[in-house]
Amino acid sequence: MSAHKPQPAAVEKPKNFGWMAEYTDEHSLLVASRKVRDSGYTKTDAYTPFPVHGIDEALGIKPTILPFIVLTLGLTGLLAALVMQIWMNAIDYPYIISGKPMWSIPAFIPVTFETTVLFSAFTTFLGMWGLNGLPRLSNPVFNNPRFDRVTNDRFFLHVDASDKYFNRESVKELLAGTHPESLEEVIEDSTPSKLPSIIWMGLATLIVASLVPAAMVANMRAGNSEYPRWHVFFDMDFQPKKKAQSTTTIFADGRSARPQVAGTVARGQLDEQDSFYLGYDPSKVVAGEAASKVKLVSAQEEQKAPSLEVPIEEEAKKSAESAPALPAAAAPSAAAPSPAPGSAAPAAAAGPNLPWLAEFPVEIDADMLALGQKKFEIYCTVCHGYGGDGDGLAHRRAEQLQQGYWLPPTSLHEQRIRDQAVGNIFYTISRGKGKMASYAAVLTPKERWAIVMYVRALQRSRNAKIQDVPVEERAKIEEVKKAE
Amino acid sequence: MASITYSNPREIDNTVDVPGRRASLITGNQTFSSVTEMVCRVAEAPQPAIWYILFGFSSLTALMFVSLIGYLILTGVGIWGNMNPVFWAWPIVNFVFWVGIGHAGTLISAILFLFRQNWRTSINRAAEAMTIFAVICAAIYPGIHVGRAWLAFWMVPYPSLNLWMWPQFRSPLLWDVFAVGTYASTSLVFWYMGMVPDIATYRDRSKTPLRRFIYGILSLGWTGSSRHWLRYEKAYTILAALAAPLVLSVHTVVSFDFAVSQLPGWHTTIFPPYFVAGAIFSGFAMVVTLLVPVRSIYKLENLITLRHLDNMNKIILATGSLVGLAYATEFFIAWYSKNMFEGFAFMNRAFGPYWWAYWTMVSCNVISPQLFWFKKCRTSPLIMVIISIFVNIGMWFERFVITVTSLSRDFLPTSWGYYRPTMYDGLMFFGSFGVFLTLFLLFCRFLPVIAISEVKGVLSIEAHRAGNGHGHH
Repeated sequence: MSAHKPQPAAVEKPKNFGWMAEYTDEHSLLVASRKVRDSGYTKTDAYTPFPVHGIDEALGIKPTILPFIVLTLGLTGLLAALVMQIWMNAIDYPYIISGKPMWSIPAFIPVTFETTVLFSAFTTFLGMWGLNGLPRLSNPVFNNPRFDRVTNDRFFLHVDASDKYFNRESVKELLAGTHPESLEEVIEDSTPSKLPSIIWMGLATLIVASLVPAAMVANMRAGNSEYPRWHVFFDMDFQPKKKAQSTTTIFADGRSARPQVAGTVARGQLDEQDSFYLGYDPSKVVAGEAASKVKLVSAQEEQKAPSLEVPIEEEAKKSAESAPALPAAAAPSAAAPSPAPGSAAPAAAAGPNLPWLAEFPVEIDADMLALGQKKFEIYCTVCHGYGGDGDGLAHRRAEQLQQGYWLPPTSLHEQRIRDQAVGNIFYTISRGKGKMASYAAVLTPKERWAIVMYVRALQRSRNAKIQDVPVEERAKIEEVKKAE
Repeated sequence: MASITYSNPREIDNTVDVPGRRASLITGNQTFSSVTEMVCRVAEAPQPAIWYILFGFSSLTALMFVSLIGYLILTGVGIWGNMNPVFWAWPIVNFVFWVGIGHAGTLISAILFLFRQNWRTSINRAAEAMTIFAVICAAIYPGIHVGRAWLAFWMVPYPSLNLWMWPQFRSPLLWDVFAVGTYASTSLVFWYMGMVPDIATYRDRSKTPLRRFIYGILSLGWTGSSRHWLRYEKAYTILAALAAPLVLSVHTVVSFDFAVSQLPGWHTTIFPPYFVAGAIFSGFAMVVTLLVPVRSIYKLENLITLRHLDNMNKIILATGSLVGLAYATEFFIAWYSKNMFEGFAFMNRAFGPYWWAYWTMVSCNVISPQLFWFKKCRTSPLIMVIISIFVNIGMWFERFVITVTSLSRDFLPTSWGYYRPTMYDGLMFFGSFGVFLTLFLLFCRFLPVIAISEVKGVLSIEAHRAGNGHGHH
């Protein structure tokens, strides 16, 4: 408290808030307002049941800055919405939906617009009340009992006592000269301005009670519980259904997974009967044998030993006749015109012994070979190398690191690979072998056959004779040879 | 207290403008105090018997609705008829229906305000209240349609410890959350702000301390200060300018829910204007349906005059014809685009298994409002209520036709189906009307149904224009 401040003189008597004149129509109010304004009073106000046109000018009320506040907060909302969406959907958790780019501004426009309006509307609403100093629980103007009609049909003009030119008598005289319906002095409210303590206690209780749920959640978040998680919907979390490989009492055989219904075809099942997808001729395996059984057997054989002694042609034929469970290695009858020197699997090749296709089931042409080269260079060269020597980048890097456990990729020019039938190579690409994974997921059967074709071309390039070259091209090779 | 004139407004036909002299918007030589008296009587006088009958009926219906929501949450959405391929069935139809109705209030408040249509002052308050209540009914449906209603807050972009991810802002369904949320909250503040001076009137007339206390809190200490009025009017104008594009954006975004998908019959660019026209159409029809009984029960014929109803019926006629044009345009584009699926979708709508819904829609929405070309129909309360009820039936069927026909038969004939609602679909739709009517009856009982201060403003301007004061002398 500053000692220099003059003590207010109005301490002893009730505080005067000025004079208030009442009018029955807006025109008298306007006339009186102009008169008061022209007398130099600025701490004035008019109270009316509806916004009276011209009162702002008549009282000298200045325009409001509300629009600029709204504009600022509206632009803030616009920016906030854009930043929020870009941050959430393009930076913090980026994912592409319906092919739109990460910064898909057009898709972000609706929410941006709505947020701009939301911010602006609430700024307008709250800003208007804030600038007006509302809500206000107590106001001396309400002390005038006639003031109740201000929201009905009466118009009041108030000159405040804090005006620098305020003088009790002269203001009264001035207002009386405007022919008001009534003229009253606004005095301080005698009732205590503080809220009764019971209301404060009620409010405090409400606030504390409203914090209880949040506190419970916070406690659960931070603490541990020895009880299992509470399942709101038990039958949604634990659905009454049978999972694969489980038993049941519903069916006589006790299996929950049901076998295929007779006379139906499963998706992709027909492919299992087509040598184009298999690399071998399923019809020659064993008549009446299910393809799945062949797979099972071949998987078992693969497990036994990588250097399984492959039965020679005659033995295979015999075994096919005697033991239907064993797959037979059927030699293709026709001599292969293809680059493959050996027809079927007589050589010491690892893996299952199946009636491999010795001929390509696809057309051999330059397009296929080009496709094969392209796909080989994409998928195979990283290990097998561009020339197929097993010296791809992965291998060279492993050697550089001197990793002892590195198993070098197979050179495609090894004799046992050269001896493999095209179907066998196709099978290896499709199913994988050793460390090599299956490429069935990334290469279509046609592409796999094209790669086989390219592998054959690579192999032949190392072992070609001059007779293999067309007569008109031979001269070129001779030239190169001479140059060397 | 001022006397109230309950003279038959038919005596003064204010639906015709005599050249050179404007017909008055409100009739019966009203003064400021008689306007106050007439509106405050609605809440102060004992409610008529019909109020209690309607309230008993509607609150029981609302209770049934709330109980059914409880049953739905405990059981699951399987109690509805939603089944493959129609998973967006009645819940979405009802959502769009109610949101559409919720367009009239803000349209009347905002767009007619910006166009300086003074006749809005008598009807805007009730229309805004209706908007809020309709949006409440609308917002319930997607909330319970999500299946796990207690997780609906996942739509809010907050840093979630459960999900560790954000909502997907490229989806129209999320735009919808923002659009309807913004619309509901902005309409609420617009409505409340407009009501504060009138609640102050209620406060100043209160006879009991409790009433005075509650209305005193709600009116925020409003005094009618001219400085306050200045900022208030500025704020009202700003809110109107914000709400005008907002109201158009909301049904646009609702239509995006359909139009952004690729289903034949949904994937069309005409949807936004077509939906907005339909929303205004159905909203005005609902305002007419509510206000005609309200003005006769509470004897407000001098404030909500035939001229007001006539104007609204003209808007219904205009928007109904717009909707009819949209139906025709859809068919034309389906044929003109030579898109097989689009063509099928529309032939299927009109002549497929849901032909009855389509032709109900066309006869209610396109044919019935054409009666409003006749002035007798526009100014007869009974006929206009019947037509506007038909319009709302038609608009419900429009949403049904759009949602169900397109979903039940899309590209693959093997996945076609026929949608059948269950008893719960019907009871819950009926129940939402109970919620709506209960809220509206409570509004009439406790809050000012007419914008008293705005009507007085119009009265002042009209008296000034007539050059003979305001009839108070």
